[in-house]
Amino acid sequence: MTVTHTQMPSTDHGHAGLAGETRSEWTKFRSVRSTWICLFIILLAGIGLSVLLTFIQAARWSQSSLQERATFDPVAFSQSGHFISQLVVGILGAMIITSEYSTGLIRTTLATVPKRYTVMAAKKIVIAVVILVIGEVTAFASFFAAQIILTAHGGTELPAGASIVTQVKSASIPVVTIMSPGVLQAVVLSGVYLVLLSILALGLGFIIRSTAGAISIYVGILLVLPIILNFFPSGFKNSVEPYMPSNLGIAMVVTTTRTTDWAGVLLTPWVAVLVLAIYAAVFLLAGLWFLQRRDA
Amino acid sequence: MISAVGLSKQYGKTKAVDDLSFEVRTGVITGFLGPNGSGKSTTMRMIMGLDRPTAGKAFVNGKKCQELKWPLREVGALLEAKSIHPGRSARSHLVALAQTNSIPKARVEEVLDLVGLSQVASRKAGKFSLGMNQRLGIASALLGDPGVLLFDEPINGLDPEGIRWVRELLQALAKEGRTVFISSHLMSEMALTATDLVVIGRGKLIADTTVENFIDSNTVATVLVRSSDSSRLNEVLAGLGGSITAQDDGSLLVTKIDGTQIGDAALSSGIAIHELSPQQASLEEVFMELTSDSVDFHGTTDAKAAS
Ligand SMILES: Nc1ncnc2c1ncn2[C@@H]1O[C@H](COP(=O)(O)OP(=O)(O)OP(=O)(O)O)[C@@H](O)[C@H]1O
Ligand SMILES: [Mg+2]
Repeated sequence: MTVTHTQMPSTDHGHAGLAGETRSEWTKFRSVRSTWICLFIILLAGIGLSVLLTFIQAARWSQSSLQERATFDPVAFSQSGHFISQLVVGILGAMIITSEYSTGLIRTTLATVPKRYTVMAAKKIVIAVVILVIGEVTAFASFFAAQIILTAHGGTELPAGASIVTQVKSASIPVVTIMSPGVLQAVVLSGVYLVLLSILALGLGFIIRSTAGAISIYVGILLVLPIILNFFPSGFKNSVEPYMPSNLGIAMVVTTTRTTDWAGVLLTPWVAVLVLAIYAAVFLLAGLWFLQRRDA
Repeated sequence: MISAVGLSKQYGKTKAVDDLSFEVRTGVITGFLGPNGSGKSTTMRMIMGLDRPTAGKAFVNGKKCQELKWPLREVGALLEAKSIHPGRSARSHLVALAQTNSIPKARVEEVLDLVGLSQVASRKAGKFSLGMNQRLGIASALLGDPGVLLFDEPINGLDPEGIRWVRELLQALAKEGRTVFISSHLMSEMALTATDLVVIGRGKLIADTTVENFIDSNTVATVLVRSSDSSRLNEVLAGLGGSITAQDDGSLLVTKIDGTQIGDAALSSGIAIHELSPQQASLEEVFMELTSDSVDFHGTTDAKAAS
């Protein structure tokens, strides 16, 4: 009654490893509805919020202050969808592991591979690739949509090397093309920011194991920490502020402006990438440490 | 083959498993018996490499679970807690498992068929009944066609038909030469299904033997006798060295001497025998007796305690 008809491949060679585990994680990832809801929200809310805010900003350009005009960055502004998408990628990153702990699936999963780190590596690959794709699609779509809106509101492309002064004095709102200096890099890094956050959240999920706990801490790091920082003496605040994850995200997408508003607050884009990558790695390694030692 | 050597697990102050050593041989069903909280599930998780032993080791086919190259193809387990995402279909769950160990997709359909879930395979597991969930768990365990199988309370929550199905499946698996290790807190179930027994109480090994041996060595042959004159027969049998308990209905429960001796003695004393029947001590009693010192949670039948 239990006769096996299926020809099973030989077990003489190799071992269950990362390739199979990654395929499995991908199957698991796409076979639950919450995945698709989250991806849909990233895409829709990410692009939608960018479009909405750009539209508002463009419509009231003539009434905006000199300060506002000086700090307006048509690239960074087009990535305003981060407000929402940075939260959703965290939820997605944390949930692909916490949902296994809450359902008990983790026991089955850990019993399929000889080495536990394979499970973490496979999850990391899946989340990173998925968020990279969805993040870049969102970033580029937001960027082009925003520039179309700006142009429709009489926006003009500033000549190469134009100063802030030109921007402030200009009657029309600035527009950029993807080929303008630093623009392509900023749009690409917009997606990279989301990838790094999702990996950080994954690490957090491995550490905390509970969905509610992991997401609360994630939101705390992203949104509450900067608020708390405001209560510290300004000397300390100013030196720490650039390293807040949310500010690292802004640093990655800012192109034209290095004016008073952001002076000292932002790191340069690639340093920001490096710092956030270090955070993600620290969380992931801490998660791995727990994964290897704790009972499942 | 499964073996445990000095296996121990401490949770805070609780010694869940205490220096357990045993071997589970292939080709027969081995029952893993113990009262609630005696450490059966903990032991199984340690064998599967999920919980880290405080001391000792557990081996599957002579290797630690973490050293198996293709874990699903060597050992399949149905563990106590549900381990299925409720939002995922049965088929996707099994496909994901299969992919980890290079098991062909056709095998997924095969096990779905085997456990009778083919019709509902694309439904979310969260909508499954207890019995269907149990079947899906069994399908996961059988997926890699492993030679070693662990089932933690496989009949929990199943109806009589489901229980019979599991029992027959386990017997078939053992007959195919696999190692089948099943836990239960019901001795009667083990008596029906298992050949070998590992009995534990409070994490300690109480017996590691065959079901037959276990019953023989822990039961005392008792004979029930009804006669025309039980008080005189009582004296006669006592004189032969029998140990006798007189029952309210006038019958005698006799141990230490057998039916032949009783019959002969009655005949020579002119007492008519109305009934002479050997008594089968129920396995449940034997088990209770043996583990009573080690039962963690004694229930109370005191009426006052209930009010
Ligand atoms: N993760 C854990 N943390 C703390 N204590 C635990 C844990 N798992 C089990 N225990 C304790 O270890 C002991 C053995 O539990 P276990 O679940 O292994 O028993 P069991 O024989 O499977 O019982 P049952 O028949 O009720 O399933 C119990 O006292 C239990 O409370
Ligand atoms: Mg148990």
